[in-house]
Order: sequence, then C-alpha cells, then structure tokens
Amino acid sequence: MVKGYEVVIGLEVHAELNTETKIYCSCKNQFGLEVNSQVCPICMGMPGTLPTLNEKVVDYAIRMGHALNCSINRICKQDRKNYFYPDLPKAYQISQAEVPLCENGYVDILVDGEERRIGVTRIHIEEDAGKLLHSDKFDGVSLVDLNRCGVPLIEIVSEPDMRSSAEAKVYLETLKSILQYLGICDCKMQEGSIRCDVNVSVHKPGEPMGTRSEMKNVNSFSAAVRGIDYEVERQIAVLEAGGTIVQETRRWDDVKGESISMRSKEDAQDYRYFPEPDLLTIVVEQERVDELKATIPELPNIKILRYVKEFGLNIKDATFIAESVELAGFFDACMAKGKFAAKCYTTWILGELVKFMNETGKTLADTKLTPDNLTDLAEVIENKTISNAGGKKVFVVLLEEDKPVAEIIKEQGLAQVSDEGALEKIADEVLAANEKSVNDYKGGKTNALGYLVGQCMKASKGKANPGKMKEIILKKIEG
Amino acid sequence: MNIDIKHIAKLARLRIEDDQLEKFESEMQGIVNMVEKLPDIDDELVLDASNPMKLRKDEVADKKFTRQELMQNAPKVKAGCLVVPKTVE
Amino acid sequence: MLKNKEISSTELTKSVFDRIKAVEGKVDAYLTLNEENAMAQAADIDSKLDAGEELSPLAGIPVGIKDNITTKGLRTTCASRMLENYVPPFNATAMEKVLDSGAVITGKLNMDEFAMGSSTENSYYKPTKNPFDTDRIPGGSSGGSAAAVAAGEAVVTLGSDTGGSIRQPASYCGVVGLKPTYGAVSRYGLVAFASSLDQIGPLGKCVKDVAMVQSLIVGHDKLDATSAYREYPNYESQLKTDLKGLKIGLPKEYFGEGIDPFVKQSVLNAVKEMEKQGAVVKEISLPSTDYALSSYYIISSAEASSNLARYDGVRYGFRAEQFDGLTDMYERTRSEGFGDEVKRRIMLGTFVLSSGFYDAYYKKAKLLQRRIQSEFAQQFEDIDVIAAPTTPSTAFKIGENTGDPLKMYATDICTVTVNIAGLPAMSIPCAYDNNGLPVGLQLIGNRFTEQTLLNTAYAYENIVGGFKMPEL
Repeated sequence: MVKGYEVVIGLEVHAELNTETKIYCSCKNQFGLEVNSQVCPICMGMPGTLPTLNEKVVDYAIRMGHALNCSINRICKQDRKNYFYPDLPKAYQISQAEVPLCENGYVDILVDGEERRIGVTRIHIEEDAGKLLHSDKFDGVSLVDLNRCGVPLIEIVSEPDMRSSAEAKVYLETLKSILQYLGICDCKMQEGSIRCDVNVSVHKPGEPMGTRSEMKNVNSFSAAVRGIDYEVERQIAVLEAGGTIVQETRRWDDVKGESISMRSKEDAQDYRYFPEPDLLTIVVEQERVDELKATIPELPNIKILRYVKEFGLNIKDATFIAESVELAGFFDACMAKGKFAAKCYTTWILGELVKFMNETGKTLADTKLTPDNLTDLAEVIENKTISNAGGKKVFVVLLEEDKPVAEIIKEQGLAQVSDEGALEKIADEVLAANEKSVNDYKGGKTNALGYLVGQCMKASKGKANPGKMKEIILKKIEG
Repeated sequence: MNIDIKHIAKLARLRIEDDQLEKFESEMQGIVNMVEKLPDIDDELVLDASNPMKLRKDEVADKKFTRQELMQNAPKVKAGCLVVPKTVE
Repeated sequence: MLKNKEISSTELTKSVFDRIKAVEGKVDAYLTLNEENAMAQAADIDSKLDAGEELSPLAGIPVGIKDNITTKGLRTTCASRMLENYVPPFNATAMEKVLDSGAVITGKLNMDEFAMGSSTENSYYKPTKNPFDTDRIPGGSSGGSAAAVAAGEAVVTLGSDTGGSIRQPASYCGVVGLKPTYGAVSRYGLVAFASSLDQIGPLGKCVKDVAMVQSLIVGHDKLDATSAYREYPNYESQLKTDLKGLKIGLPKEYFGEGIDPFVKQSVLNAVKEMEKQGAVVKEISLPSTDYALSSYYIISSAEASSNLARYDGVRYGFRAEQFDGLTDMYERTRSEGFGDEVKRRIMLGTFVLSSGFYDAYYKKAKLLQRRIQSEFAQQFEDIDVIAAPTTPSTAFKIGENTGDPLKMYATDICTVTVNIAGLPAMSIPCAYDNNGLPVGLQLIGNRFTEQTLLNTAYAYENIVGGFKMPEL
C-alpha cells in the first residue's frame, strides 16, 4: 500500500531465445555483428519471401511454459500483427493472438520472507524487430539496422498479481534465473536480450481496479523498480487532485526519473490481427510435450524455498546460490552426501570461493574444487584436525590442484596440536612470561585473554588448536 | 455499413486526395455492399490440425547474400544502414 | 520437346525474338525483354545437345515469365510503379526449376498491377492487347502470359492465379492455362497477393506443353511451409485420350443468367463431344457459389492489404521524392506508387480486418470458405471432373469495364470459387464467336488430380484437332 492506495502491477517480459537461427529464416542468431550483415531476403521482407518456423523456438517456449507451470496449447497458430514502423520490414510482426503456445501458469517467489504466487497469463512466440539508430549527428534522419529482425522472442505476460515494486523486482529476477537455468536466453539486459514493459494501476481498498498505464523503455530491473515507484506516485497525485488516469503508453526516462506520455498512437493503433496464412497449424505431439517437461531441472525459485526451509539458509544466501546454476548444482551435490550442515559448505562457497571468482573472473568450473574435496575439508575442520586459518590455506590449494586434503595438510604441516599435554606446556610457558597480562585480565581487561591466546598461538607456530588453547589458559588463570 | 474512408486510409498509410474522395467513397461503398451479402453462419473457426506444419531444423544456412546485394535496391543508404526520416518513439 | 534435331534452340529462340519484334508493337505483352541472355542460354543448350547430353524437355525452349515471379538479376516490377526498378537478388523456386531445366527466358510479362485485375488494364506501364482482336483485353491478371503464347512470342509462359488470373486470360486468348492445386507449386518468390489463394501455373498452345511444364515446377519446397509434401507424376508421359467412364459434373450455378448464351452453348457442346467419347455427364449443384465472389474479395483483399504493407519506400522500391516526416513518406510513397485498383483492394482489406469488423467479414468469409470446400469435396465423391465456362463472355473491349470496378469483378464469377476451394483447374478453348473470339471451357478437379484434368483436356484437344492461334 502506498499512501492508502493498493498498487497493482503486471509485467510483460520479452526474452530473446538463444537458438542458432532466427525464428522464420536460417540466418545466424547472433548479437553485435556489423549492421545489416545478419540478414537475408526473408527477414528483410523482400517481395515473394515466406517464413518457416524454427522447431527449437517451439521447444524452448514449451520448456519455459513447463517451468512456469503453464498448460501447453499443443495445437495453435501464428497471427499477423499489422503496423507500420521502419524497423518492421514486412509491416507486420508474426506473433500469436488468441491462442498462445502456453497459458495459465504461475511462479512461486519469496518476497521479504513471504511466499507469493504470481500468475502467468500466457507465453507466446514471436519475431523481434530491427533497430533504429538515432543521433543528433544524423541530420534529421534515423538509421535502420535489420540484424535483429526475426530474432526469436518469447513474450511472458504476468497476471496483474504484483503489489509492490519490490515484488516486481523479485519476479523479474526469478524469471531471469529460470531462463538461465533452462539455458534458453542469455539474459543480457544491456544487449536487450531481456526486456520488460510495466503495467501499473492504483486503487483505494475495496474499490475496483484502477485504469492502468503501460510503461516502455525500462532497461533494467532496478529501473523497473524506479519506474513503478514513480508511476504509483504520479497516479496517486492525479487521483488525489481529482483527475482520472488515462489508459496510455508512457516512456520511462531513467535519467530524468520520470515517465512521459508517448504521442497517443493508441487510437490509431489497430493491429488488425488475422491468422498468418503463410504458416500452417502448429501441432506438437503430446510425446514431445512430455519429453520437454522431463528436461526441466529443479528451478531456482523452488531451490530458494528449499534452501531456506530445509537447510536454514537466509534468503539472501539462498537466492545467491540458487540463482547460479553452477553454484546451486555444486551445493546440492555437497548436501546430498548428508554428512554436514549447510553452513559447513556455505562459509566456503559464499566466502572464499566467491571472493576468488570475483577477483579472477573465473567460474567454479575453472577451479579444481569438487563436492568431494570440499566435503573432506569440511570434515577436517569439524573434527578440528586443522583450524579455520589452516582451512583457508587448504582451500586455496584445492582451487588450483586436484590434491587430497590429507596430503595438503601434511605438506604444509597444518595439523593442529590438540594434545592437552603439549598445550598445557605451552600455556605454562606463556603465562609465566606474561605476568602483567595475567594480572590485567584478572583486573578486568578481558582482551588480555586474547593477547595471551595469541602468544600461545605464536609459540606453537600457529599449530595450537585455538579453542582448546583458550580453554586451557582460562583454566590455569582462574585456577 | 458505412466505412470511414479517412480512418481506413490512415491505417493503410494511403492518402486519398479530396477531389478523389467522393468517387473513392462510392466505389468502396459499392464493393462493401456486395461483400456484405453473406449468410449468417454460426460456427467457430476451429484450427485445422489435419495438416500440421513440419518445422524447420535450427541449423544455420550458408550465407548466400552480401550486404551489398541485399541493400542494392534501397532508396537511401548511409553507413550500411537504411535511411528514414527521423523517427523518435 | 519439338526439338529432336529438327530445329536448334538458337534457331527457335531467334525466331521467337523475331516474332516479338514483329508483333510486340500490337500486343504489348512484355515489360522487360531478355534477348541477349536468352540467346546465350540457347547457345549453351545447343552445345550441350550437340555433345549428346540428356536434357530436360524444357531445355532450350523460350519461356516467358509473368512479372510477379522474382527473377534474379532481372527486373521484376509486378507492373507497378512501386517496383519500377526493383532487381531481385534471388530467384523464385519455380524460376530456379525452370532455369535448372535449361529453358531460355525470353523476358518478363505484363500483368495487372500486383495481380489485381481481370484485364491487364491495371498495369502501370501499358495495357496488353488480345492477339485475336487488338481492340480487346487479353484478360488478367496474367494477360501478358496468355497473349504472348497466343501471339507466338513465347512457346510457354508462367503465370499466376489467385481468382482466375491464369484461366481467364487463357480463355480470352484461346490458349491452354492450368492453375495447380493450392500447395502443389512453391509460392516462394511469387510476389504475394493473397497468400492462401495464389499459385503459379503454366500456359501454352497445347495440353502437352502445359503438362510438361507443370511436372517441372511442382514439388515440395522447404522455403514454403504451405507447399504440399507429395510425389507428382510425369504428367506429359501419362497423358491419354480415353474418356470412357469419365464422370463429368455440370454445376447449374455456373450456367445461370449472367452467362452469355453463346458461351453457355459452346461449353455444353464441348461436353457433349466428350459424352460421345464415353464420358458420363450429370447435373450437380454447388449452392455456395453465390457467396464465392464476396468471400473471395474479402479474403483476398484482407491478405493483400497485409502483404502489400511492406511497400513503404524503406528497403526497396519506389520512394516519394518530397515528404515531411515518416508518416508523410509512407503515405506519399504508397499513394504515388500504387494504382487505383491496388489502393481499392488495400482499403477494402484494411476495412474488413479492422477492429469491430473482423467477425462480420473476414471470419465469416473463412467459415464460408470451409463450406465451399466441403461442398466440392462431397461432389467429387461421385464425379471426376467439373465442366463450366471459364468466363461469362468473350473478351470485352479495352476501356469497357474500367469505369466500374464491380462490373470488372463480376467477370471473375466462374473462376474465384476454385481458388477459395484450393482446387486445380484448367481453361482450354472450345469455340470461337461471331467475332472470332475464343470461348474457354473450364475443367475443375479435386485436389491433386491435375492428371485427370490434363487427360480430359488432352482428349478434347484430340477430338477438335488442336487449338488455333490467331493471325496477327
């Protein structure tokens, strides 16, 4: 609720599929090449050309449908959406109108610790348009690059189920991680491979839903949050002043932090949808639908819930691990051994490993770390064979070398001394040499204890079991 | 059924000059009157699944065309791109 | 095919171009001639033949191509200002097949602009004349294709048929024309008019030639998702003249008041001749014929309005010289680039698809299409071939119908239903009126029964001893 108004948010996400070829022609589907170099007569809309549908696009869309718990419309069609724009070569976009490939799904997300189910109205397949390049340097003209024409898209439309910008952000991040888990989209927002349009409306509790406005040009998830927050405030201000909200399309300007009404093309925009006559009915065999369902792994949003509930991770850590296919797979394998608590692994994964990955830019796969050797490390720490400090040294080696943990400990002499006799001897020596500190401690300076333990560690060349050492010192001081 | 010529022309990006408007309107009206005479039919347009489309394999084809070839019919080209009047969203 | 060393391709091609020089001024069938390349192609074929190579029956034969079929490196205008200087970088699939067979391409043939018309008077460039009477239209939209054959300016030609555009000019010009089953010939490279109705087809002086070309151009094309997966016979080798037991249906709706009595009688006479040879004739009814014209105009205009939206002056084709901003550029380009008939169809199509009207027009027309299709299917359970007039009258004078679009549309009445139903159909000459103008007999078959149609036509041709070509 904001200022006494309920907020209603719906999101339309467009994701470019990373198939080898475009959706309706065999041009290579690749970003960033020289302008107009990845085109052919078909995606350029030259006279006489015809579209042919790429089977992978259907497969990927159905997998996303399964991942979002949708029902799959095995029998469906494509439709033409007719409008004029320089980046649209045929002056129509081949899309899907009333019968999308997938519909009536949902995704479960965790927002501020609360489980929320966001409905997914539909997922459909369509082609992307080209790019318009503008610059003040171009004298009153714009330039058109058609490389992106025909890149396959899935459009994922949510139900207007979100109630806050924070919720919207989690939803978007969840969709992104699911797309990455499925391996069907590289999700590079800066390259435009994932885009979203935001629909926002507000209403007073108990009253019917308000008129929504649609906002385009939202170029990042945090921009989505900013845009939503702004739009909510704007709409409330209009309503409070006695005005009404106009159903319109607005353009979000992230730099200025405001949304501007786009020239109302609304009334002129009649897309005259009709079934695409150049393509036949799409019929996906039930067998194929089932086969594709079997390829869906446990998805990140489900993992997060599981990590929190079963392993007691906090949301932040759970999300961090779950969102990475690599890290999650690794973590799951470690936990599957059933030997140690999650914390034994997460300290390493979220600590030293992430630090290493950030510093070197490497991935987990680039290291020699395995669930087996990390489990061995966890064991020698749990049973106090080595200290945490020693553990770090072992970890560093494990990243680079395929060496057994025991061998590393031996080579570097990391084994902790836990033998009571040996520790007592060290304690006696240190206490004898540091009478002042002992008296300080007795006098109330508690940090003198740390100093004394430190001296013991020094005397033992770091090998003393610090916890035990502390115990012995205390016992001797307190008698 | 009366048709709004100006609106349709706008949708189709056609311009019907004022002096042609009346003639055009009456021609269009005549055609619309002819096509209107269709009997009422109550069925639904069910998708024909008897002839399913065979889908294309996701394999890159050898490039058969150079950019030059594809752009050679373009009215105006600059820096490898097509030139259009300034178009801001 | 006629060439077993009787005449070389070079000689044949030269004689065709000589003919073109002699009569083209009167006929105006061509928009672009390809003489130099054609002579080179002919020479090439001759050397291959001399070397004893086995070549296709079409090798070395002068073939004319309707100007809405894309030809790589050869200007393809669709008889429109919009594509006046458009040179495609690729060939239509049907074109590739013709080229692969070694045919010699004489040039691109005149037509109604973007295939919209019934007289070739809608060509931006010039009207084509009927070789039987140069004051009269040759029909449309493949007017150039039919006239060129009749005038001897090509041996065979390719045309396209969306509502009768091969059959109707074939009828007016006294030649043989075949519209294949929808999906038999690839549409890749055929500049789209109505995607669910268009088909490329052959025209020629005799059934054998048409059969031969048809075999060459059919087949599934992976670039056309609507092309059928089938094997097709060698039509020419399977031609037979035996009509015994052939069941011919005469649909009463095609012999109504709007049909000229002479045309009606000529068609019935032709069918009687076939009966004498053993065919069995029965009267049938196709009640939905009444709505066919309306359904046709709704469906074809709707699809056309969308297919022609790409002509906007951005990537190819005509662009207006003066304009102020993007919308103005679009409007001026399209208004100056398209002729009136094209604009009418685009407007009608835009209207029937527009918000609030889709159900009442387009959806209804599509539902009626299904009804028309099932009506035919039902009839074909008991008959093999339907016989009817191709056109309600013989060729009308140039300018006679140009003031009245509806009158022009009405000349399509016998042909459009076939496209709506997706069936194959042919037109062959069956009589000549008092003015010497040809009357066309239309034969309609069930899907993929081109062999039956060709056989029936071949048998009739045999009965009458061949079809006469006009004196020019």
